[in-house]
Amino acid sequence: MGTRVLIVEDDAWQREHVAQLLTKHEFVVGESAHALEAIDQVDTFRPDVIVLDMMLPGVNGLTLLHELQSHADLAAIPVIVMSTRSDLSLAELEPYGVRVVLDKSTVQPEDIVAAVRKVV
Amino acid sequence: MNGKRSAGGSDVSAFDAPSVIAATHELKSPLALVRQLALTLDGDLSPEEVKKLALRIELTSERALRLVDDVTQAQRLEDGLFELEPINPIALCDEVANEISPLYAAHSRTIRTVRRRKPPLVVANRSLLRRVIMSFADNALHYAFDDQPVTLETHLVGDKIRISVRDRGPGVSARLQRSLGSTPALQRPSRRPASSGLGLYVASQFAEAMNGHVGVTRHRDGASFYIELNGSTQLSWL
Repeated sequence: MGTRVLIVEDDAWQREHVAQLLTKHEFVVGESAHALEAIDQVDTFRPDVIVLDMMLPGVNGLTLLHELQSHADLAAIPVIVMSTRSDLSLAELEPYGVRVVLDKSTVQPEDIVAAVRKVV
Repeated sequence: MNGKRSAGGSDVSAFDAPSVIAATHELKSPLALVRQLALTLDGDLSPEEVKKLALRIELTSERALRLVDDVTQAQRLEDGLFELEPINPIALCDEVANEISPLYAAHSRTIRTVRRRKPPLVVANRSLLRRVIMSFADNALHYAFDDQPVTLETHLVGDKIRISVRDRGPGVSARLQRSLGSTPALQRPSRRPASSGLGLYVASQFAEAMNGHVGVTRHRDGASFYIELNGSTQLSWL
């Protein structure tokens, strides 16, 4: 069974872009448009990796990270943050389970695939 | 962005650092998406897929351009004389809904105007009011569930007229709120990312130029962003 990747991204076109890319590389992909949906998806889809946009409607990405960390069985899921925010650093987010931070404005498709492979 | 002016031109301090950071950050989202969609075009795609991507690039570019236009206009508010006239807000909402419908349709979402039998007239500048409603509608697109339309509504609030853009999207459930309560910094999760700040700022500048103001009402299932303006009583029979 392939690696399961949950993409949490509110922009539908951005989400579809990453989903198609990862599917093409034979990852099993789940999608959430917002954090509340993601919390449900984590239970049902059981991802091996989460690709997370930090700026989400309703509950933001940082709050979702905190929620994941507060559950022992979810805290170990590696998270890849993909954001346009240039003020995010891996050092700041590592305590929340983040393993890679990608800048949406410079990332190449192969970087996304490489990041998923790196953290599983 | 503080619109300070000096004789002979714009004061350089008009562009303060936080405003520039907010503006550039907000523009990054659509530009980053355009870039990523363009990179996708490089792959092995069918003509239909290429057409779909080209449409997305076009619509996303238009969003970015609208934002640039709005920011530019907000900077020039002091230069211009904005004629205020009685406007039928429902007809204007219809115009906005028609214009932004292709973007909504491309996201599998819908937007519609809520009708009223006797629409009140609002005293506004047509161009500025249109931009405000468009900005709210653009913002709402990203927070609406696909099975719930975004609605453009007009209400009388005392002697003012409120034009609001209502989205129905994710809120914060009571269960999650309780579970988040232990960490002070996380007790109040934002219901909108910071990226909607610039659009709201620009809208507030436009509203001020029309003697009005903007605001937001939170709902359990979304939000209503609104502009409140003076009503026109003398022409309300039109």
